[in-house]
Amino acid sequence: MKRRIALIALLLLVVGAVLVLRWSPGGYAAQDRDSTMAPFSAQHWTGTDELGRDRTVRVSAALLIGLAGATAAAALTTAIAGCFGLAAAFSPSWVAALLIFLSDVFLSLPWLFLLMMARSLLPLTASPLDTAVATFVVLAALGWPACARVIYRGALALRSAEWMIQGHACGLRTRQLVRLHLLPHLRSLLLPQFLICVPAFIVAEANLGALGLGVGEPLPSWGSMLLELDNSALLARSHWVYLPIALLIIVLLTLESFATEVETHA
Amino acid sequence: MRSLFRSSILCAGLLALTSSFASGQAAPRQPGEIAWAIHYDPKTFDPAKVDEQASELVRYLTGGVLLRLNRQTQQPEPQLAQSFRISPEGTLIVFKLRAGLRFSDGAQLTSADAAWSLRRVLNPATHAVVAEEFLSPEAVVIDTPDALTVRVHLPKRIIGVEKIFDEIAIEPANRPSEGRVTSGPFAVADYKRGQFVRLIRNRNYWRRDAAGVQLPYATGVRLDILNNREQEISLFLRGEYDLIDTLPAEYFGVVAQKSSSAVHDLGASLNTEQMWFNQSPAAPLPEFEKSWFRNRSFRVAVSQSIHRADLARIAYNGHATPAFGVISPANAQWHNNGLKVPPESIADANKILAAAGFHRGGNQLYDAAGHPVKFSILTNAGNPARQKMAAMIQQDLAQIGMQVTIVALDFPALIERLMHKQDYDVCLLGVSNAEPDPSSMMNMWLSSSANHQWNPSQKTPATEWEAEIDRLMQLQASSPLPRVRKQAVDRVQQIVADQQPFVYLVYPNVLQAVSPQLRGVQSSILSPGPVWNIDSLRREQDRPLRGSL
Repeated sequence: MKRRIALIALLLLVVGAVLVLRWSPGGYAAQDRDSTMAPFSAQHWTGTDELGRDRTVRVSAALLIGLAGATAAAALTTAIAGCFGLAAAFSPSWVAALLIFLSDVFLSLPWLFLLMMARSLLPLTASPLDTAVATFVVLAALGWPACARVIYRGALALRSAEWMIQGHACGLRTRQLVRLHLLPHLRSLLLPQFLICVPAFIVAEANLGALGLGVGEPLPSWGSMLLELDNSALLARSHWVYLPIALLIIVLLTLESFATEVETHA
Repeated sequence: MRSLFRSSILCAGLLALTSSFASGQAAPRQPGEIAWAIHYDPKTFDPAKVDEQASELVRYLTGGVLLRLNRQTQQPEPQLAQSFRISPEGTLIVFKLRAGLRFSDGAQLTSADAAWSLRRVLNPATHAVVAEEFLSPEAVVIDTPDALTVRVHLPKRIIGVEKIFDEIAIEPANRPSEGRVTSGPFAVADYKRGQFVRLIRNRNYWRRDAAGVQLPYATGVRLDILNNREQEISLFLRGEYDLIDTLPAEYFGVVAQKSSSAVHDLGASLNTEQMWFNQSPAAPLPEFEKSWFRNRSFRVAVSQSIHRADLARIAYNGHATPAFGVISPANAQWHNNGLKVPPESIADANKILAAAGFHRGGNQLYDAAGHPVKFSILTNAGNPARQKMAAMIQQDLAQIGMQVTIVALDFPALIERLMHKQDYDVCLLGVSNAEPDPSSMMNMWLSSSANHQWNPSQKTPATEWEAEIDRLMQLQASSPLPRVRKQAVDRVQQIVADQQPFVYLVYPNVLQAVSPQLRGVQSSILSPGPVWNIDSLRREQDRPLRGSL
């Protein structure tokens, strides 16, 4: 029941955001310079930002970009982790040890520094969309080691399961074994990992954006919108400045609730 | 992963809360002490080696000088020197020191100390930035006919030479002390890296007020090192700080709401905010892009498309003045009142671009060879006003079909790209002009200079108009005739307005916050702002000190 409520809440948010963007006359970048930091009005439901951009439209775009980017990055990182974990579990012990060592090295790397480096390598003329894609790809490329270890442990236990031995004895090829038996059994591990990665990547992007390293202007993102909270002068002018953080927390709690339910029922 | 996720949510919440209620704790104030914040540690306390603002402020507060530029009248006034005289040909300056001068440690101050300090600054081994202002520092000769006279022999006339002595602190001969033994109002007493610099009153300071009370009134100065504007403002509002020298425009209203008598908008500053196109032949940019940036029509069209009034109103909350030229109207003596500038007009910009071979394809502008006009604007991270201006310019230029991306880099990365790699398209930054005389801008305008930003270190001027600027700037720096200098500087301003190597955006206003408890403040748009007469400042509850401590 909780899972259904969480899913419905998330869907409502996404549909609402799509509708807002669909019906917005100017788009997320349009600057109404005569209405900067405007309060609630029929034209701007949650007011405008310092450049006169509609806050509802920008928060909606940030929500969709964050969710889409984080979902894609989580899928990618789960796939990398799955391949890595399976490769380690079904390899000779020395290869497994080497792969696990490699994942440990990745875990110990200063990820924030790496993210900053990777972001700074982008050409200056990279479009805002390119910066968004690059940000989430880098997050995916750095987020797999913890998942890989979990999947490795799960796959290791399955390796010596009776049905695996029986499958081998029946002459099934490795590819068939993986597709027909192993992956369905690992689903209970892969799905929660994927679902946990989505909010984690949303938060990571928000943190990067708050450091000025996330998605480029004028494309809105959680991070760039949270930057406004660092300015008490703005907080004094409009309470709508808190909208992005409030919505971010709602989205994260919804995602976490959904992930918890899936994990419990898996 | 789960716990990481939960803690991340917590962090996000905390980020919001901590940033909303940023406060802090200043070091305890000593009785009679004036306190404010500087934003980073001074790199040096050696007055001869100062090359950045924090060190410059400490030198100003501690260093005794022969002459001091009055920040209100903009005229040099005798300090340690009782009088000075410049010979008619401008190659000899004679300073007569006051009798009975002493350093803060009680030692006598004579012409030998002054000569030693001047020679130390002129010595190439010291690497003193101020030495460059003597043009040929190695040819300057100092002598001391007696204990109270210092003579400075220059190889040739230097316009405004007396202002250079405002930047040379007189130290005890052969005893450089990094500001601990001084002849100025204060001396360095304590320094904790990243925390504060504490200055203590110089008991032997030469100056007294009209009633005979020895200055400075304050027992000391505490400069907290604090790179957090929120915290600085919070501490000012709590009365922990006496002033904020450069108040960011977005906070002006907040402070004014709490204490309207504390904030002052002194109008346009001498500083400029501008953007420029990379015209360096060494830049690793495609040739077609370089040809846009070298094209005068392209630069003028960009300039005409930018709504400067919006930049001033929105990015600076109205605390800036739209800029069209090199010299701010605040610099009344040198500002060209008859300057003709390209008018703001999208229609005119489109016409100029069309005449220069550019054409529109839908919302995108293309050059004659069919390349879409796309470039990036580079600026420094952590400056909200510049980032807002960049976002507004992005929209303005979209109206003439130019696609702009904005890149904010931290300062070291920015400088690396600007000065070393020259790997950028357009840069948006500001220039701080410490003094009104155009001679101080020589390093920016001479084509041979490394600070000639759009095309630095040219062996010979790349264009005729740059050659003309070189000639005019040299003329204004060497001519003794004010009229000739003014004409030369007016012409430079007109060339820059015609060619738009710098597209000037705004002159930020001088915004200061001064506690009503601080008495004796005479505001000035020149650095160091409200503390330029530091020896006459005191807090209201601190009664003037009689005699020496």
